[in-house]
Amino acid sequence: AAGAPKPLPSSGPKSLREMPHPLATSSSEEMGPALTPSPDLLLPRSIADKDLGLPNGTPVDTSSPASSSSLLNRLQLDDDLDGETRDLFVTVDDPKKHVCTMETYITYRVTTKTTRAEFDLPEYSVRRRYQDFDWLRNKLEESQPTHLIPPLPEKFVVKGVVDRFSEEFVETRRKALDKFLKRITDHPVLSFNEHFNVFLTAKDLNAYKKQGMALLSKMGESVKYVTGGYKLRSRPLEFAAIGEYLDTFSLKLGTIDRIAQRIIKEQLEYLVELREYGPVYSTWGGLEVELSEPLEGVSACIGNCCTALEELSEDMTEDFLPVLREYILYSESMKNVLKKRDQVQAEYEAKLEAVALKKEDRPKVPADVEKCQDRVECFNADLKADMERWQNNKRQDFRQLLMGMADKNIQYYEKCLTAWESIIPLLQDKPETK
Amino acid sequence: MEDCLAKKMEITVSEAEKRTGKNAMNIQETYTAYLIETRAVESQSEGQCAPVDSLWRRYSEFELLRNYLSVTYPHIVVPPLPEKRADFVWHKLSADNMDPDFVERRRIGLENFLLRVASHPVLCQDKVFYSFLTQEGGWKDMVNETGFQLKADSRLKALNATFRVKNPDKRFTELKHYSDELQSVISHLLRVRARVADRLYGVYKVHGNYGRVFSEWSAIEKEMGDGLQSAGHHMDVYAASIDDILEEEEHYADLLKEYLFYAEALRAVCRKHELMQYDLEMAAQDLTSKKQQCEELATGTVRTFSLKGMTSKLFGQETAEQREAKIKILEEQIQEGEEQLKSKNLEGRDFVKSAWADIERFKEQKNHDLKEALISYAVLQISMCKKGIQVWTNAKECFSKM
Repeated sequence: AAGAPKPLPSSGPKSLREMPHPLATSSSEEMGPALTPSPDLLLPRSIADKDLGLPNGTPVDTSSPASSSSLLNRLQLDDDLDGETRDLFVTVDDPKKHVCTMETYITYRVTTKTTRAEFDLPEYSVRRRYQDFDWLRNKLEESQPTHLIPPLPEKFVVKGVVDRFSEEFVETRRKALDKFLKRITDHPVLSFNEHFNVFLTAKDLNAYKKQGMALLSKMGESVKYVTGGYKLRSRPLEFAAIGEYLDTFSLKLGTIDRIAQRIIKEQLEYLVELREYGPVYSTWGGLEVELSEPLEGVSACIGNCCTALEELSEDMTEDFLPVLREYILYSESMKNVLKKRDQVQAEYEAKLEAVALKKEDRPKVPADVEKCQDRVECFNADLKADMERWQNNKRQDFRQLLMGMADKNIQYYEKCLTAWESIIPLLQDKPETK
Repeated sequence: MEDCLAKKMEITVSEAEKRTGKNAMNIQETYTAYLIETRAVESQSEGQCAPVDSLWRRYSEFELLRNYLSVTYPHIVVPPLPEKRADFVWHKLSADNMDPDFVERRRIGLENFLLRVASHPVLCQDKVFYSFLTQEGGWKDMVNETGFQLKADSRLKALNATFRVKNPDKRFTELKHYSDELQSVISHLLRVRARVADRLYGVYKVHGNYGRVFSEWSAIEKEMGDGLQSAGHHMDVYAASIDDILEEEEHYADLLKEYLFYAEALRAVCRKHELMQYDLEMAAQDLTSKKQQCEELATGTVRTFSLKGMTSKLFGQETAEQREAKIKILEEQIQEGEEQLKSKNLEGRDFVKSAWADIERFKEQKNHDLKEALISYAVLQISMCKKGIQVWTNAKECFSKM
């Protein structure tokens, strides 16, 4: 069973898309230029037992709970070379517009397939809106403060400038939300988070949200690390280095973002001129007799180049820029986590110093100071592990992103090349003598 | 075309040089002089090369030559000169006549002009043209001695005047219309092309910024560093490549410009025909009225109003002798007029015939040249696309190693 190509952790398994889904409907028709509204979609649809399948193609029988354990057995036999078995797959797709009296918004289908014991069922399909993702992220930040939480696409859009319901915007957002969940899925700690579980499975997320708030206030224990305003003595070198790295990194990304935007702007201005240029050849062709066809040919050719350029600019806007911005947001949130770490360390150091100043004969360190020390060490360990994982994913993400950018440009030039090469014979053609 | 000068003689405008000197008004000025080199083409045996003759001419002398040719051969579509001042520029090109790029393109344009004239079956045989190529001193005097300037003035007036021709040759009317449209469409094309070039330049150059930022970014990366750095280098290459591409495109633009100006020459021939036709119609009209006058005097009936007629009514009739004298004068004039009309008619017909022959020649040349130009433009675009694919493929390769 070894040798099957393993998909990149950060991009999610491809096979999920190919798998038939119990809720697969003709959703493609509904995704026209105007999204059709859908009624009563706060309740997720129940899982019908149509063609259920596992990533490795094994059919699933969900009728009996015993089957999940047999599944697990089958999966355990299917060991990967590096020992990492994938047992959780999440996808975001099928955006739908909802028009209600108070507001209009979009929901996305979140599909989960898993063999984990933490989940009651092997499959889930729920509908979530951006608010829900935002809630999830906040919950994760609260409950897992020592970890790096992936970023969400930007929350606010300037109304009037961007159409929140345009196909392009929704698709860009969908991809980002999909990425967000996949990054969590790939994280060895975050993916087991209780809120994440609920997000993926709950039929009524709002009820849980309210409940969660109540629980928190009841329990009284804040899981947040309070920033007590302590001053840090010395930052460990490796975290200082990470901080510096992130500063320069986000700076460079910002520059790249500006350059990419500028290129798109210049390309669109170039496109405006090209759109006037092509038709002039056509006008000229109307004047001529023998040159009529060649001139028309050139005009059509330029028209094809215009289309290709339009596609390139669209691709860059929809695929390239959002990912850059995501990473800039990621860097920002990571720097906040670093600050929190600094605070935790500072608190520990302050408490330690306070104890030392007391000059008591106690050889033992008091319990709360010990707790602080634990916190520091845990935080450092978690952060270090996450940074390593982040660095690796970042490399793969950027490799893919930049290769994608190069690809799009190559495709653009290939389209233009085809157009121009195809009219050479037309231009060289000798007309019949009249 | 066996006796065409271009076949017998190699002509090049090989150099351009900045000069200072006093002009006709004795004012110091800077101008560019161009070196014309000529060499007889003979069946050359090994090692034997004909000697090269050369002389320097400035743009105004070329202008003088062309004016002479236009006036002397009104039925010929005379090849145009390259533009006097840089027009249809896009931001990178200087509009300055002293700019080396402009001078270089003008040098090529002037050479092209000479070759066009030398390849023309009629123009190449002109003595003044030959002297222009071979006789350094005294050429200006020679041109002026031909007296073409007088004709030039009246021609210029005629070309600008408005008059109505009653029976123009339809072919010329259509051709004039065509030349107007051609001028309009090529002007438009050149203007937009210049804007397109400007924008394309911007797109390419901005990519150069990637080179710098990738380099800076690679400094903080471990594994990704090399890939980023080398990709950045390719972005620099990409940004630099546009300069050569657009320079080549200028040659295409220059060819279109030539035909823009050719359209003007075509129009001039049509106007010349109109002028001749108008002249003919006026002469015929004049003849008719004289014949009428003659008839009236002879028969005594006054059908047309004339001041003489009125005054004679008021101040007394003319004597028979006076009338006879008048009739005799008129008859002489009528005879003269008829001869003139005949020769004008002949002239007109000859003009139409020879003009139309040259127009047909010109049409063929135009279709051939423009087709070649479009092909070269397409080839240029293909080359640009291939370069683009190459650079981005290289960059992709670098990214893949990140």
